[in-house]
Amino acid sequence: MMKRLRKNGFLAFVVIAYIGLFIINKEKAILSIKNSGYYIKEMLTVMPLVFLLTALIDTWIPQETIMDYLGDGSGVKGSFISIFLGSISAGPIYAAFPVCKTLLRKGASIFNIVVILSSWAVIKIPMLANEARFLSPKFMAIRWVFTTIGIIIMGYMVSKVVKRDDIPIEEEAIEHGKILIKEEYCIGCGICAKIAPGYFEIENNRAIAIDENIHGGVDDDVDKAEEKCPTRAIAISK
Amino acid sequence: MDIFTKGLWIITVSWFIISMKRDKNRTLKSMKKSKNMMGNMLGQIIGILFLIGLILTLIPPEMIKEYLGSSNTLIATIVSALIGTITLIPAFVAFPLIGSIVDMGASIVPSVAFLTTLTMVGIVTFNLESREFGRRFAIARNGISFVFAILIALAMGVIL
Repeated sequence: MMKRLRKNGFLAFVVIAYIGLFIINKEKAILSIKNSGYYIKEMLTVMPLVFLLTALIDTWIPQETIMDYLGDGSGVKGSFISIFLGSISAGPIYAAFPVCKTLLRKGASIFNIVVILSSWAVIKIPMLANEARFLSPKFMAIRWVFTTIGIIIMGYMVSKVVKRDDIPIEEEAIEHGKILIKEEYCIGCGICAKIAPGYFEIENNRAIAIDENIHGGVDDDVDKAEEKCPTRAIAISK
Repeated sequence: MDIFTKGLWIITVSWFIISMKRDKNRTLKSMKKSKNMMGNMLGQIIGILFLIGLILTLIPPEMIKEYLGSSNTLIATIVSALIGTITLIPAFVAFPLIGSIVDMGASIVPSVAFLTTLTMVGIVTFNLESREFGRRFAIARNGISFVFAILIALAMGVIL
């Protein structure tokens, strides 16, 4: 019960705030629910889309491709792709979270994730059209230029402060006493087979564990292989 | 739904159909993974949506307008940027609002700060962001974005 409450502490907080408001001022509470209506509708039009999209990225876009286009070495090309991806997106910033998390898991760099998140939030094309209409095309264009430059600098700054290890990425559950190679992460580089040839080998461009069971203990080699794996595809449960 | 959202729907659904045809098992496996990830976020997102409604009642657009148009530009800019971080109003409300303030002759600096923090910095989404990407990431991204919102606003004030 407590664990559940802690997990949903934020939701509980909002519910309590609503109950409080209902007691103090019923009209305002009803108005608040009505105000939320638009956002709920927005979520319903966007979140199923995001759900499908994350699943499709996961299925069809290989780790190598994401690392190549959005990874640490993707450079200027990566920035362009990130801004483009953010600009054609739909929905508010929270809709970007699942997509970015999936990309991050598959090897996108923190720099590019910040660029995608930020451009998803501020420089969407339908929004730019609106801005040009209600303010002026000149206002829109200048703001776009500054924002884009800003986003690139921000991405750089965040990537200097935040490292990959700071970001929680759920591990797939592995059985106790087993070595697991996550195929979708493995790029078949062969480092593990070089470091611990007794445990790993490369078959069809993917690493496989020669014996999945670790029989009580493992050599240091295996730990070293786990550590040196560039995509962290090896998991050992001791 | 705007045309882009519609376009994305069409592309995604077609992709999904092709995906199911080509490799049903893998598609379903990935969908299960997505479901787990999004399931964890759903409670938070629902909380966020209702919190936005609550905030909009407490800080209605008319009040935002008053702050954005106030005469002391520096204070107005910081206050507007702060209001932007706690509210999340849709662009089709925000732009006409800003447009009317600028037409009234107010400085554009607070408005730009507001527009940027409105979507890019989020107190209501902070909790979700820090759970999914880590506290360090959420603090760094939101903090740096806030500073940049003000810098972008000032730069625009100089040019326009």
